[in-house]
Amino acid sequence: MAGLVVLLFASAINAMVLGAVSIGGRNVLVILLEALPLALIFEGAEIPPVHEDILLQIRLPRVLLAAAVGSSLAVAGAVFQGLFRNPMADPYVIGISSGAALGAVFAMLSGFSLAVGGFGAVPLFAFGGGITTIMLVYSMARVGRAVPVMTLLLAGIAVSAFLSALVSLLTYFAGEKLHMVVFWMMGGLGGATWHQVRVMVPYALAGYICVSLFSRELNAMLLGEETASHLGVNTELVKKILLAGSSLLVAAAVSTSGIIGFVGLVVPHFVRLVAGPDHRFLLPASALLGGTLLIATDTLARVIIAPSELPVGIITALIGAPMFVYLLKKRKKLRYFGGGG
Amino acid sequence: MGLNIEVHGLKLAYDAQPVLEDTNFTVDRGDLVALLGANGAGKSTLLRCISRILKPNAGSILLEGQELDRLNSKEAARKMAVVPQETTADFDFTVEDIVMMGRFPYLSRFQKEDSKDREIVKRSMEMTGVSHLAERSIATLSGGEKQRVIMARAVCQQPEALLLDEPTANLDIGYQSMLLELATRLNREQKVTVIAAIHDINLAVHHFNRFILLSGGRVMAAGRAEAVITPENIRKSYGVPATTYRHPLHGVLQVSVVRGPNPEESHNDGPAVHVIGGGEEALPVLELLSQQGCRISVGPVSAQDSGCRFAHFHSLPVVIVPPFTSMNGALKEEHLQLMRDSDLVVVPPIPFGEGNLPLFEEVETALDEGKPVYIIDLEGADQRDYSGKARQMLEGLVKKGAIVMEAIEDLAAVVCPGGGLENE
Repeated sequence: MAGLVVLLFASAINAMVLGAVSIGGRNVLVILLEALPLALIFEGAEIPPVHEDILLQIRLPRVLLAAAVGSSLAVAGAVFQGLFRNPMADPYVIGISSGAALGAVFAMLSGFSLAVGGFGAVPLFAFGGGITTIMLVYSMARVGRAVPVMTLLLAGIAVSAFLSALVSLLTYFAGEKLHMVVFWMMGGLGGATWHQVRVMVPYALAGYICVSLFSRELNAMLLGEETASHLGVNTELVKKILLAGSSLLVAAAVSTSGIIGFVGLVVPHFVRLVAGPDHRFLLPASALLGGTLLIATDTLARVIIAPSELPVGIITALIGAPMFVYLLKKRKKLRYFGGGG
Repeated sequence: MGLNIEVHGLKLAYDAQPVLEDTNFTVDRGDLVALLGANGAGKSTLLRCISRILKPNAGSILLEGQELDRLNSKEAARKMAVVPQETTADFDFTVEDIVMMGRFPYLSRFQKEDSKDREIVKRSMEMTGVSHLAERSIATLSGGEKQRVIMARAVCQQPEALLLDEPTANLDIGYQSMLLELATRLNREQKVTVIAAIHDINLAVHHFNRFILLSGGRVMAAGRAEAVITPENIRKSYGVPATTYRHPLHGVLQVSVVRGPNPEESHNDGPAVHVIGGGEEALPVLELLSQQGCRISVGPVSAQDSGCRFAHFHSLPVVIVPPFTSMNGALKEEHLQLMRDSDLVVVPPIPFGEGNLPLFEEVETALDEGKPVYIIDLEGADQRDYSGKARQMLEGLVKKGAIVMEAIEDLAAVVCPGGGLENE
């Protein structure tokens, strides 16, 4: 765990060093330390003021946002995989992404100039679309008093397919805004601001605390809902809380950065392969690794064709997939989840 | 310890299909109860109601007189533990992790497992004999080992009642009795109330002392084995004819499903066969002839003999020798008459002693009168001969025309239509 923390900081520092304008590693540290309210002044460091601006106003918020989005996606992925006992589950499995996409595309095409609390229409509609979808899916999956996870998964897939079709329809008529729509759907952290960080981080924290308090319950849920219930887990309540928490994480992530794939699917598997399925370790480790992975890939996305940049979703998949396959081959078998003995 | 469970007027329907209809029973503290009944009789459904997976449409379940609904999830899990038929465990939790989950109902949200919990986990694993597997991944265990781990988890829950839902359905006979033995031990040592849904009645009677027989969602019979496990109850609830008998070694009731005498279906068009003597050795012969549609007669046998029971069950003519007496003139005549009424006589591979040697006289008479006599397994007679004379007498019969057969199965060719009998 400590190693993961170090890794996270290393990738964050690295991300702030690299870029179209290179700021030395030592200077990065100096700027950061001076920016802290500790009145530390490092004499003799000749740092161009523009570097300071680039670092504090552009790169730092972007790194923080990448960390928040990456860990939110990874944690939500871990929760959904555990809840559905399905290795294919990712943060978008029950339709939050398509709901958010529909909201975002709708906002882009209708050209709303709505702004609440400093936010444009796109993130607001994306957030609203995601949350509305999950509530719709949940109420559709209800059988009597209970919401069986399998029904939930299937309802999610159905709703997701339906909404995706609507998104495609809207995209088809997007005209000159097509580029904007496609770019949003690929996901990216360009134009990150401190304001976004201030809004995103509390959501991410709230969602994370919410789900991590129920790690032990989630472990029991891995044995099946009935077994969990026999062990004294109030399964319906726990499901509701976990869904709410992880939906919050995903909706917040999607609305700030678009649909970034692969992080939420791969990171939890990665951790499980190495450290086992116990969610008390899995959740924090996924958060750290997810944050690290997104910072690293986002850095690559910025520098690879600098001064222009690639959508980070492309990089996460390009790098994550081969790494994951390598790990699978090395361990031969997915021993957790249907892999047998 | 121990929990009193009352079930009153329980009703439950799946999609308007009633599964439980007005189910009532009481299980006292420290009872060891087997829940019997055919597939679909409602055993699992009833257990799932008690373990709060299903909510009944009507009726109530009381634990120590307290409504089950009143308990919260953790309170209920401290009172009752469940061992299901099968646990899907295809992820890398270690056995110790799984057993530790039994402590869940005792831990509050921010509480860590302490040394006391670990001690209980250790003892539970020792009791169920899975300590050596502690570090193994549950996914790598065999079905029997896995079920013992689940049992360890149930023990770790320190319940007052243990509910088992077909816990042995997928286990081999060794693990079956081992698992039920564990349940009885918990019952004996810690007075835990045990309710187990069991398919295998013959297994259940070895381990349980109270039985509840469900049929069509109702309690058909409840109480001791003798009151519940009767041919009549089995026929009504499982829809098959059955006989009960005492286990020869343990004396417990056992059930055997039989093709009973069914006058409409039976095709007693085969030859009439008289089978000499009885005993367990004669039973395969009787069963084979019965399946071939032969009209059978049996004797002489004693009243407690299994051949005699067979004859009574199928309403066959039989010569019965009263206990501690030998064949008198009237019985001999009766025996001869049965042989005369038959198309052939079979001497099964039965043991011979001084007591039954005289019956060779009657067989010889029948042979003299032209009745075909078949002797099965002449070569093996020496091992079954406690008189030292049987071999000689049997060979005497062969000299007079008795036919020797190597195995019981060869009889089928003789008695089947178009078989050896008509050709002679």
